Amino acid sequence: VAEGEQEFDAYFRARRDAVRRTAYLLCGDWHRADDHAQAAFVALHRHWRRIRDRAALDAWMRRTLVRSIVDESRRPWRRERSTDVPGGDAGRRPGGRVSSEAAVDGPADGVATRHVLVDGLRSVPPRQRAVLVLRFLEGLDVAATAELLGCSPGTVKSQTAHGLDALRAALGDALDDLRPAG
Amino acid sequence: MDDEEHEARIAALFRDAATDAPEPGFDIGDVVGASRRITRRRRSALAGAALAVLAVVAVGLTAGFGAGSSSELTTASAGSASGAGAPEAAKAAAPEAAAAPDAAGGLGSGGAGSDGAAGSDLAAPRPGTTAPGMAGVAAGAVPAVGTPLGPGTGECANRQDPALRALVEQVLPEAVGAPEAATTTECRPGGERGLVLEVRDGTSSGLLSVTYLPPGEAPTDTGVAEHAASTGSAGTVIVSARPDRAGDPAPFADRIDMVVAYLAPRL
Repeated sequence: VAEGEQEFDAYFRARRDAVRRTAYLLCGDWHRADDHAQAAFVALHRHWRRIRDRAALDAWMRRTLVRSIVDESRRPWRRERSTDVPGGDAGRRPGGRVSSEAAVDGPADGVATRHVLVDGLRSVPPRQRAVLVLRFLEGLDVAATAELLGCSPGTVKSQTAHGLDALRAALGDALDDLRPAG
Repeated sequence: MDDEEHEARIAALFRDAATDAPEPGFDIGDVVGASRRITRRRRSALAGAALAVLAVVAVGLTAGFGAGSSSELTTASAGSASGAGAPEAAKAAAPEAAAAPDAAGGLGSGGAGSDGAAGSDLAAPRPGTTAPGMAGVAAGAVPAVGTPLGPGTGECANRQDPALRALVEQVLPEAVGAPEAATTTECRPGGERGLVLEVRDGTSSGLLSVTYLPPGEAPTDTGVAEHAASTGSAGTVIVSARPDRAGDPAPFADRIDMVVAYLAPRL
């Protein structure tokens, strides 16, 4: 038992920050991200002794996290909007688009760029947002993302395209790097 | 800029967007402590469910014995067993299940992992013992019960409510021992009750979600197929099931209506 607890402790210390970051981009709010990350680690601790394949821990955590956040976004009480981003919704136009004023300093200012992107992500539908985060933050390829989400590679590709379209629609020309290739 | 370079630049933006992390709001002690609390609570809930099932069995046997020993009152006794005796047992069982976590809160604090199998043996209703509720629902007549469970009383809603779980396990024995799905610790109004389980139904698996909303709180369209009904306490019970894999059948899809019908008068 003690050995198992030590292993869990080591895994927790190694992965906590990465899991929090993923949760943050999935939900757009550090407080909720901590809630989801903690819940995922609690679930992992409860299953720890039964998990045989320790190499699959990261995938298990990602799946638990995505499922938890996407599932919560569908619940009636998850309708309120987060206001964790500095400036809140001040930089948003009606309809959810980030205003040009909010993006004025974006490309030149790293902090503003981060907030613009996170703000834009919050307007992307949850499943598409999950695909974008898994692919571009976690670095998963199409096949791994499809396996984790339980869908086909074709669905991942279309969700990626739609998600990026939605992100561009929300950000306008705030972030040049999001413009389509070519 | 080709596709690969474009994706690399997007990836850099995503990585950069999550760099300003504040201090973590939890540590290893919080995680391990919460895990052990949940394990204790779940064991208590399983014990409560077992007590409820035993109570139903005892009342059922008593009623059956009474009917068998009185040849002149056979019809009346049978009517009593199915129409009044069993619902009374269920009425008694629900508060017991609700009280069990507190009453048995001091049970063992061992690690997660061993409670499921033991709980299955203890709490799984035997054929016939769930008949009062199941048979009534199957016949289209929701059995009358006494005092419904009603709103939660805590400061925050319990997302894995043991009393609600005990009722769900009465109507859906396959839920006994099912792992709790991850939920958040966000504080919702204490009147609500929730339950989210990772369930398996034959070859299909997925999430079974049961939510009780107190009177005055209206459900909203969540975009997923849900089954809802008004409850005995004038609240709302919402049950949904969705598969792990898109396109697969949802677990217990053909029994969700029965679950709602069973829970509604008891909540």
